[in-house]
Amino acid sequence: MNDNPYKPVDAEIVDIVDESPTIKTFVVRPSEPVGFKTGQFVELTLPGEGEAPFTPSSSPTRSDIMDITVMNVGRMTGLLHQCGKGQPVGIRGPYGNGYPVEQFAGKHVYIVGGGVGLAPIRSLFLTLVERIKHFKSVVCRYGAKTPADFIYKKSLFGGWPEIDGVDISLTVDQPDGDWNGPVGVVTSILKKDDVYIKDAAAVVCGPPVMMKFATLKLLEFGFEPRQIYLSMEKNMSCGIGKCGHCMIGKYYVCKDGPVFTYEQIMKYPDIWD
Amino acid sequence: MKSVLLTELATFLDAVAGEMDLYVPKQAGEHYVFTRYDRKAGGPAEFNTVRTCVPVKEFLFPLRELAATSAASDKPPDVKPFAVFGLKDCDLRSLEVLDKVFAGDEFLDPFYSKRRQAMFVITGDCTEAGESCFCSVFGGKPFAEKGFDLNLSAVDDGFIVDSGSDKGRGFLERHKDLFGKVPDKAIAQRQENRRKVQADLDANNRLKAGMPLRDVVEQAQESEVFDSEAAGCIECQACTRVCPTCHCFYLYDSKQKDYFTKTKIWDSCMRLGYAAVAGGANPRKILGDRMRHRMLHKFVYFFDRYGLHMCVGCGRCVDADAGGMDIRRILLKLSQQVREKGAKTAESVK
Repeated sequence: MNDNPYKPVDAEIVDIVDESPTIKTFVVRPSEPVGFKTGQFVELTLPGEGEAPFTPSSSPTRSDIMDITVMNVGRMTGLLHQCGKGQPVGIRGPYGNGYPVEQFAGKHVYIVGGGVGLAPIRSLFLTLVERIKHFKSVVCRYGAKTPADFIYKKSLFGGWPEIDGVDISLTVDQPDGDWNGPVGVVTSILKKDDVYIKDAAAVVCGPPVMMKFATLKLLEFGFEPRQIYLSMEKNMSCGIGKCGHCMIGKYYVCKDGPVFTYEQIMKYPDIWD
Repeated sequence: MKSVLLTELATFLDAVAGEMDLYVPKQAGEHYVFTRYDRKAGGPAEFNTVRTCVPVKEFLFPLRELAATSAASDKPPDVKPFAVFGLKDCDLRSLEVLDKVFAGDEFLDPFYSKRRQAMFVITGDCTEAGESCFCSVFGGKPFAEKGFDLNLSAVDDGFIVDSGSDKGRGFLERHKDLFGKVPDKAIAQRQENRRKVQADLDANNRLKAGMPLRDVVEQAQESEVFDSEAAGCIECQACTRVCPTCHCFYLYDSKQKDYFTKTKIWDSCMRLGYAAVAGGANPRKILGDRMRHRMLHKFVYFFDRYGLHMCVGCGRCVDADAGGMDIRRILLKLSQQVREKGAKTAESVK
């Protein structure tokens, strides 16, 4: 066991899936099993270059490999996108709290996602459907910029909608010729009667502006702030609640989050920025 | 606590340095810095009147340190015992803050923890109130009562030495021939010295002890004071560097010839890109917002999480700041605003 929390476990990229023009999923095999709870995150090191936090998008039932879905948005993610199979990497973690799946038991789980925000949601979704009977329903609303920007296309258009107890709707901001679904941001396909609100938990993950407006919409529908679970994105360096970068109020997103109820953080400034 | 009398400071420092590396204060310009005590050269042996300019955190959480390497043999290095002489009560309280962060929860920072255990803490009474000192606002005193291994109080006959731990008691026992009996008049003199410095400290400060600073800063968080004060800030980040409680760092990856490293390097919440994420979002692009966050962290967030303020009133940031920033002035302005607002609200209720 590693008693230095700053030292990663060696790992290797064993497969790469192109998800969209800007998003790839890296299948990573750590040299020793890294068990995680859905919604927890890891710090992925590209040796000598840097590290960045990602929530694995695979099911936590497998600890020998994990999928890490990465959008090319900055220096580290750009470098990762240039990596091929066999690339040595490092993993620290898992860190943070993860989704409180046990609290969702017996409820409707209302999932609202945008863009690469589907990555943590995929892990949650896989966890939920493994014991779908424990939940009243799993309702997923997901938006992407264009049809090409949907990730996990095979599951999204194939397997997932077929599962009993699952209800999925998709929307795009900009349609192409083949798209015959709804057009608009994800909040435009949220309906008040999608779930029985009194008996539901909402999970929101996506770009900050989408999370903000989805949260406002859910509140307008009558969700209580404590029923809305947000996966917060902040700059996380150490991952263990010390370095200070990821603070939201008194919370360290890396240690106390990344999943917070809106009730926990609503009084603090800058949560959506 | 049994007190003993020391007549020659150098004999004491020699004894400490005979057991472990010793760092002592040395005057540099108008401030004190720490330097390695050289036993052969016999010095320097100064009793610093007030706290040093540099913070004690440097001994435990250096500006940059190797946190991990890809080498198979990598493990945190062992730390030899070392002593720091000339710490003050405010330094001890900064250690309480750092202990909470680095040694107080499920994730132990092995580097900090090892150094902390290896450090022999020797404090001294302040013999004057520094111009920027405002420790009394946070219940601090110009003399230490707990948290040290040994404490020295300067008196006419030399120094009264007290032990505050088993390590300290052991030291006094091993070197008992260095010490004598404390005359009653020395005890009386120490009491008088302490009272006088405490009175000077209180007189120096417009901020008063026991002010509800947590509530003041929280209630004033929308204040324009953060923006107006930030107008003078030149973003040198000196305030966070010299602050003994500021502990932000960045974990930095680099390549060596045949291995990779992660280095912990001090960071500052006053830096523009501090909280920016890869996607480009930055919650605190405006300098005033960063100042607000710094104050909220020190007086509200840290307090809510750990039960103490992340400020010990040492005034180092006041001394260091080239832009004329003064945390005391900011706190005073905020508390005035909160008071005025409270008065107005009370009036409108009538």
